[in-house]
Amino acid sequence: MKVRFWGVRGSIPVPGRTTNRYGGNTSCVEVRPRGGAPIIIDAGTGIRHLGKLLMQDAFGDGRGTAHLLISHTHWDHIQGLPFFSPLYKRGNTLHVFARQRDDTHLRAVFESQTEEAYFPVPMASLKADIRFHELMEGQQFELGTAKITCTRLNHPWIAIAYRVDVDGASVVYASDTAPFRDILLEHEFVAKPPTSGASLDPADAAKLAAMREGLVRLCQGVDLLIYDTQFTIDEYRSRPHWGHSTPDDAIEIATEANVGMLALYHHAPARTDEQQDLILQECRIKLAGAPFEVLAAYEGLELTLGEED
Amino acid sequence: MRITFWGVRGSIPAPGPETNRYGGNTACVSVTTARGELIIIDMGTGLVPLGAHLLQSGFGKGEGQATLLLSHSHWDHIQGFPFFPPVFIPGNQFVLHGNAKSASMLEGILEGQMNPHFSPLYTLKNLGAAIEFRSVTRGAYFDAGGVRVCAQANPHGNITALAFRLEEDGKSFVYASDVGYPDEGPGDAIIELYRDADVLLHDCTYTPEDQATRRNRGFSSYADAAAAAVRANAKHLVMFHYDQDYTDDDVDRLSERCRAELNRLGGESIQLTPAAEGMTLEL
Repeated sequence: MKVRFWGVRGSIPVPGRTTNRYGGNTSCVEVRPRGGAPIIIDAGTGIRHLGKLLMQDAFGDGRGTAHLLISHTHWDHIQGLPFFSPLYKRGNTLHVFARQRDDTHLRAVFESQTEEAYFPVPMASLKADIRFHELMEGQQFELGTAKITCTRLNHPWIAIAYRVDVDGASVVYASDTAPFRDILLEHEFVAKPPTSGASLDPADAAKLAAMREGLVRLCQGVDLLIYDTQFTIDEYRSRPHWGHSTPDDAIEIATEANVGMLALYHHAPARTDEQQDLILQECRIKLAGAPFEVLAAYEGLELTLGEED
Repeated sequence: MRITFWGVRGSIPAPGPETNRYGGNTACVSVTTARGELIIIDMGTGLVPLGAHLLQSGFGKGEGQATLLLSHSHWDHIQGFPFFPPVFIPGNQFVLHGNAKSASMLEGILEGQMNPHFSPLYTLKNLGAAIEFRSVTRGAYFDAGGVRVCAQANPHGNITALAFRLEEDGKSFVYASDVGYPDEGPGDAIIELYRDADVLLHDCTYTPEDQATRRNRGFSSYADAAAAAVRANAKHLVMFHYDQDYTDDDVDRLSERCRAELNRLGGESIQLTPAAEGMTLEL
């Protein structure tokens, strides 16, 4: 399989000279099984460029099918979708997968993104066939020859991590998530961070432990782990309730799960290329002699995993 | 008035080396009045760097006040709002004038942006600053920091977008982004709003060729902008809201062709500037 990074930024796109190398587009990763339809994870602004590339192929003729796995529907993970050009071509099909919600159909969530007040082209008028698939936690399913598994993460309104197994290789996409120790994030708005050192409610602690265990299991032996590392340690300490991790948190999960490679991902919008270089360098020093490599994802990065074409 | 450009791009932010010169952030312009008060027009992603800049002033201590003028609520004009640090600081005060049938409908649109499906903020009520919403009465002047402001509606696809005229000490600045005129061109009320403007900022999304394939989107070509500037006798035309796929070199060409079109229409004396992030104009 090939894994291509189209957007690696968190929160909001950041154009400008300070992000030229890592890229300023928000979350979007393409997993391309050998000879199979693209599996796209998240639809941040990076998906616009993937769409342009896909239109040069079967999608341009209205014969394309793609699968889109959504970690969660925060803006930075869906805001590119109205600019995904294959949707404007009759005959193309997009299957959208995301976690089932108690109160709202997935289609309605996406349709409200293009209501008249916000966007000129309503989703219902798009020419492609868009099909929504609501997922239960822990559900497993197949997309062609690829096997997809998922587990939940620690993020406001709840995000999910996906694992794709295909062509004898595997990748996990785990974004966005806070570490699993200081605060449980799910449906309620958390206005203030927890008091440092305060003990967790036992029910919350149990839920976090189960969540962590589920993630380590999902990541077990994976060739590539893509992980939310938006925060430095200081940033995390002041904003543990925002739902993001540090490189140390990612290294901890990667080590425990015996992954082959770790990709730092969902970079903070304010992070300059030089700062990101330093963060990566520090990780490499910490991981000297470790059984896995670390890299910092950048727009345009393409990795080949498992069997070659 | 001091006019500063924080975001000049249309539709969606366009990061990358090919947009470094003009900038990839979406629509946001600030106007500092003679008495030092702040007016912000549109809240695209350019609002984020503006917010970072403002934290060094009274806005960093919860002592800031600003008028927000919102042309319309398409994503590229509101996307920066949840990432504008001054709205999280209690004590800061904003009055937002926008294009809706009522103030509460305007508030509802921004409330929808904060919905927990989409944003970790959950609701506008979680922002610390005080925000007052006002629905604009078209054609009526109101005061903002000593500047007289008037708005008129322009057609923009299936909706309308407000154009704003700001006047202070005999000088005028008109902001007219996101407009797709009917075949017969702009109406008289709009030309009156643009009339004799010292600076006319105008939607310049496309070349006429690109516009022809996307008429329903409701954007202008440089030819529309040039024609409006000549007809309204504007002194200085500022190009704005470039298509997200246009590189810096494309915008250079857009600007050259716009100059030629102005000259062809008898507007040789009209100054022309393609807006770029970081640019400042003094009036």
